[in-house]
Amino acid sequence: MRGVLRLFAPRSYMDRQRRAGLLFVLPALVYFGLVFLVPLVESVVGSFHRIVPGGESRFVGLRLYQRVFTDSTFWQAVANTVSLLLMSVPVTVTLALAVALGLHRLRSVMARSAWAAMYFLPFSVSLVAAALIWQWMYDPLYGFLNHLLGLAGLPPLPWLQSLELVRPSLAIVNVWVRLGFDTVIFLAALQAIPADYYEAASIDGASARQALLRVTLPLLNPQIVMVTILELIFNFKMFATVYATTQGGPAGASQTVIMLLYDTAFKFFRLGDASVMAVFVFASLLLVTLVQWRLFRREVEY
Amino acid sequence: MDGVRKLAATAGLVLAMVWAAAPTSAQPKKLIFWTHWEQNPEFNKYYETRGRDFAQKSGYEVQVVTIPYQGYEAKYLAALIGKSGAPDIFMGMTHHWCGQYDFCDRMPADLARTWDDHLPKYMVNVGKWKGVRYGTPIEHGNFQQMYLDVELFRKAGLDADKPPRTLDDWLAAMKKLTVLDAKGEPTQVGFALRHKGHPVGITDKFLPFAHAFGARMLSPTLETATGFANSPEMVAALGFYADLVHKHKVASLAFPTPEDAFGQKRAATIFRESWYFGWLKKNAPDVAFKVVALPCGKACPGAGALFPWTNMVYKSSANKAAAWDFIRFLSNPKDDLDQHQAQGILPVWTVNLDSPYVKARPDYASTQEMLRQPVPPEYYHPKSNELATAFGEAVVAALYGRGQPRPLLDEAAAKMDRILKD
Repeated sequence: MRGVLRLFAPRSYMDRQRRAGLLFVLPALVYFGLVFLVPLVESVVGSFHRIVPGGESRFVGLRLYQRVFTDSTFWQAVANTVSLLLMSVPVTVTLALAVALGLHRLRSVMARSAWAAMYFLPFSVSLVAAALIWQWMYDPLYGFLNHLLGLAGLPPLPWLQSLELVRPSLAIVNVWVRLGFDTVIFLAALQAIPADYYEAASIDGASARQALLRVTLPLLNPQIVMVTILELIFNFKMFATVYATTQGGPAGASQTVIMLLYDTAFKFFRLGDASVMAVFVFASLLLVTLVQWRLFRREVEY
Repeated sequence: MDGVRKLAATAGLVLAMVWAAAPTSAQPKKLIFWTHWEQNPEFNKYYETRGRDFAQKSGYEVQVVTIPYQGYEAKYLAALIGKSGAPDIFMGMTHHWCGQYDFCDRMPADLARTWDDHLPKYMVNVGKWKGVRYGTPIEHGNFQQMYLDVELFRKAGLDADKPPRTLDDWLAAMKKLTVLDAKGEPTQVGFALRHKGHPVGITDKFLPFAHAFGARMLSPTLETATGFANSPEMVAALGFYADLVHKHKVASLAFPTPEDAFGQKRAATIFRESWYFGWLKKNAPDVAFKVVALPCGKACPGAGALFPWTNMVYKSSANKAAAWDFIRFLSNPKDDLDQHQAQGILPVWTVNLDSPYVKARPDYASTQEMLRQPVPPEYYHPKSNELATAFGEAVVAALYGRGQPRPLLDEAAAKMDRILKD
């Protein structure tokens, strides 16, 4: 309590320093509190209440949890989301790493920057725009991809119309959108690794493959873990791509948790049920992130 | 010191400019009108045009804000709950915004009577919740009719002037109109059906078949689904619908949206609402088409609406009285006709249904014929979106061969009952 008071009436140099520090982080704290924490708390509270917008709100205990968790549509959406995630995340991270390693080998800084910018471009496109571009590419009749298949003498594929192909097709869009962002992170990390390490490895007779496995990848561990977590979060929250292309179809094959959450809140007007789903998403992501952080994160010092 | 003076002088100048730019008289008052009919810009513009006339006598101008249809519910909900930034008048479905929520102002009795007296019989319940009128219906012809490609009919040896009138004849015609490739897959279908998108839309497109089989999605009181959504008639209807794809192959899941397939001359018939021929004339002017009444089975599908769009007044609006005055200002046959004609869609008032404009439309005869048929079941339930989603999931699962109609509909009916009871 005394410490807090001294922030407002500083007595020493250190008090002033602390106050300055607090003032610097205060805008971010306020923003985070209002935009993230308040809605999060509201979601948790809302998940225990039956809410009638414009009307009353009633405490119903765990009833909404019971209803959502016994609904097969919800678990189908979870399974779809996990399936999309498994298709997108490993491919995006591996490809981004490969591209970054390739770019890192370029000697010309200008060429490297130009290539990196090209890879980054899709990330700067709005997700809805990206989804619509790909919807055209996937069009069964006029689509570019089926045109290419036709040139190769292959039959056209129902990319977004097939129960089997719709999720891989959406995963490709995700990979395309996210590749550049991950590449730039890896590239920056690669450039930060001191060249001495590679020289030392080379003097010790390490091959390029050994240098990659024993030097590069271990030193990239923090970035790999971070990028994987970010990809996990991005894919788990996937909404815009699905909403703009398939609306969860065909036959619910691409219905993701967030898509279902949106429908539940704004089409079915069940804000309490939607809050349960939001809490589920938050808890799942938190758990997976913590486990991943704990198991795979290694301290790295250059 | 000079710097301080300069700063003070600049600040004074800025303040003077701001003061000079400020309006000397009060701003005209505005009624904010929200609509999500982005496909009907001329119709929406009419509110502003007539709003200027209204302003002369009331002092209120009308500003129309078009909210994109995709996700409009979220935007409406946020504004109507928050009250700030909410519209005075908004377009939507009465049973949602006045039924599930309590966002609507009750229509003044005299105005409600005017509307009750001038609507086609199938539309009298549109805009009402529990017998009370809140909204003014804005769309007639929001029921499906059959669009047929005259050229494809001719090529198949069929006469487009004698369209099939029963489901049996229709199926026979569809078989003649379908062209299969060497592998037995259709390259041209007799009928393009909706299999993509949200299940609500899929339900909407299937219901005419259900009604033709004498089935209904919910009980007449809208209280139960079991026994209706999974009735033998509904099972037969869904079986017939799925067979179009799997057994008869007169429809295909590899085809795009029905509208596109018809515009591409790859589908000989589709079922769509009245507005579609305007779209067709604009986007596929080379398609020679006719609009006819839907074929009948045990019953005729009739003229109904799953999406009964209306204009309503926001209960918490500070300008409620002016909003109702504006609606009253437009509640007459002339404005009804002018506004709908400007967009090329059907007017709502009964007196306009035989106007020269309507008689000259390609859907005049089919609309009249369907209006003469018994009114099909209505599902104006506050949870209609959720119910139609649960039902549509069964329909689309049958189309994609994910199960048989009976168990799929049993599951859907049970789920719908849970929704209804909650």
